[in-house]
Amino acid sequence: MRLLVIEDDATLRESLSRKLTEGGFAVEQAADGKEGLYFASEYPIDLAIIDLGLPEVSGLDIIKQVRADGHSYPILILTARDRWEDKVDGLSAGADDYVVKPFHFEEVSARVNALLRRSGGWASSVLTAGPMTLDMSRQEVSVNDTTVDLTSFEYKIMEYLMVRAGKVISKAELTDRLYDQDFERDSNVIEVFIGRLRKKLDPDNTIKPIETLRGRGYRFALERNQVD
Amino acid sequence: MRRPRLNSLSSRLLLSVSVLLLFFFGATIFVLDRAFTEAGEQARQDILDGHIIALLAAAEPDDYGKLVMPERLREPRFQRVDSGLYAELRHFDGPLVWRSRSTLGLDIPEGARPTLGTQAFAREFLADGTPLLTLSLAVDWELEDGDSQPYVFKVAESMDGFNAQIASFRGQLFGWFAGVALTMLLAFSMLLRGLLQPLRQIETEITEIEEGDRVSLSGEFPTELTGVARNLNLLIDSERARSDRYRYTLDNLAHSLKTPLAAMRALLNDRHDDDFDARYNEQIDRMDEIVRYQLRKPAAAAADKLVLVPVSVEKEIGRLVEGMRKVYRDKNPDFDVRIEKGMQFRGDTGDFLELAGNLLDNACKWCEHKVRIVVVPSVSASAVASGMILTVADDGPGIPKDAADALLQRGMRLDESTPGHGIGLAVVKDIARSYGGQLSIHEAADLGGAEITVSIPPVSPGKAG
Repeated sequence: MRLLVIEDDATLRESLSRKLTEGGFAVEQAADGKEGLYFASEYPIDLAIIDLGLPEVSGLDIIKQVRADGHSYPILILTARDRWEDKVDGLSAGADDYVVKPFHFEEVSARVNALLRRSGGWASSVLTAGPMTLDMSRQEVSVNDTTVDLTSFEYKIMEYLMVRAGKVISKAELTDRLYDQDFERDSNVIEVFIGRLRKKLDPDNTIKPIETLRGRGYRFALERNQVD
Repeated sequence: MRRPRLNSLSSRLLLSVSVLLLFFFGATIFVLDRAFTEAGEQARQDILDGHIIALLAAAEPDDYGKLVMPERLREPRFQRVDSGLYAELRHFDGPLVWRSRSTLGLDIPEGARPTLGTQAFAREFLADGTPLLTLSLAVDWELEDGDSQPYVFKVAESMDGFNAQIASFRGQLFGWFAGVALTMLLAFSMLLRGLLQPLRQIETEITEIEEGDRVSLSGEFPTELTGVARNLNLLIDSERARSDRYRYTLDNLAHSLKTPLAAMRALLNDRHDDDFDARYNEQIDRMDEIVRYQLRKPAAAAADKLVLVPVSVEKEIGRLVEGMRKVYRDKNPDFDVRIEKGMQFRGDTGDFLELAGNLLDNACKWCEHKVRIVVVPSVSASAVASGMILTVADDGPGIPKDAADALLQRGMRLDESTPGHGIGLAVVKDIARSYGGQLSIHEAADLGGAEITVSIPPVSPGKAG
């Protein structure tokens, strides 16, 4: 998942980005509104965290522009102005949630995960499809109520695919969203991980959760058990 | 208050003009009445004079040297009984010689006797009280034999007719003058209305500004008032600018304090020293609360009602509910919004959003599934703008009585796990107070959770805020 953090305070921006990266996200950083608007419009983004009080272009204007351009990824606003007027303005402009400064990182992380899950059409943070269950808050995957032991990267791939259940995700997208910018990219790595995931989740090859579409990518193939 | 103040100016003028008119017309009526009465009396006296001369001409001495009057006189009224014109002839010593037929049954008073050779007018009365104007002439009648006899000729006329004439004249005089005076007063009050119209307009426009229907005075006033209007506009503008500046400063201060706080917290978390973190985080929380509470004071607190504008309750609540639907999407509360059509809150938009936003946010945070928002106007007969009763209820666990009391006393946190519950209500309470209103916490009878009501009283004329 590729996130965009637009925040002018360097300490805050870097700390937030580092923690999000640790949490398994690929993070783009922008220090002012102009740069932020460029990233927000031009980069493949899954979610943007935007401070409302930015130099150059205000956070509110970025949100309006992004929505006017037809981007629908979720937007979380950071605001130091704790007035409801500002929050409502942000939400009306197209933001999806807000966090008020000074926040605890856990709060931001929880909101980000909830927004990503919702943007994939899942109402609850526990995603279930067929015999599979993925608990986003605990970062656990289980099949037929048995927890499957996954590495953090395997989990990330699984989460990315399952959140977007039914959609075809290209290898390029997976590498793009799951690796950080500087990571050495190799699409073979993805194939290896997918192979390992299939073995761990479906050793007998009976439920077939991940479908390969030749030349196009992968798709989480199980029917969702819940509809938003 | 405003109507009598303006009226006193015009009624003062009207009163002075009425007094002047009364005085002037009174004097005129008096003079005209006197002139008419005197002219009338003079005319009556001339007529009596004529009658006396006619009587003298008609009198003839008889063979015995005594004066006798002919059977018929030329004036027919002397012949007709009770005609109002009477005549008699007496010896100077008193004995009656002759009376006109009109005196039949009446007794003309003898009255004072003028000296010989002179005549005198007098006002006398018949026995029944009828006023008479009389003329008596005492003559020494020379007989042919050179002898002479003193006689008194007397004519009297009833004043009844004349008095009636005077009364009718007076009636007409009063009627006409009263008509003229009324017309003048009416014209004057219309003139006054026209003259005072700009003042009334200023007053109306100030009321409209107070009610939020207008931003500033129109400036279309006569030259004498443009200065006043301009200065009023300047005052209103500077008041608005002051209120904006106040809020802007507070917002900036909050913003510039909270970003460093957030950075401090981020830095702390990087240290991975839990005990240290916890202790410092606690201090950051305290600073945060102080900033949040102190710097979120109501915008209208320092403001006069001239800066207030009407806020569409329906629209703002709509935006808030849309926002809440996003923020609480997982919980997906069931919003029951009941707002009177066209309902307006007279005040600052930010303040209204703060009131409703905090209450709604709390309700969404605590509810099981249901949140109800009811907004109705509170009215009073004398108010220039209605107040508002905003009630937000939920089906959550509710707020226990003692906790509710504590919350209302100060911005105390009820539950550490839902930060800001107490601060939100404390801010709501402060804002409600700055509008002269209050906050109350009950249990929602049907929903079972908390029901929080903010009552903002109607705005009375001439009273700030």
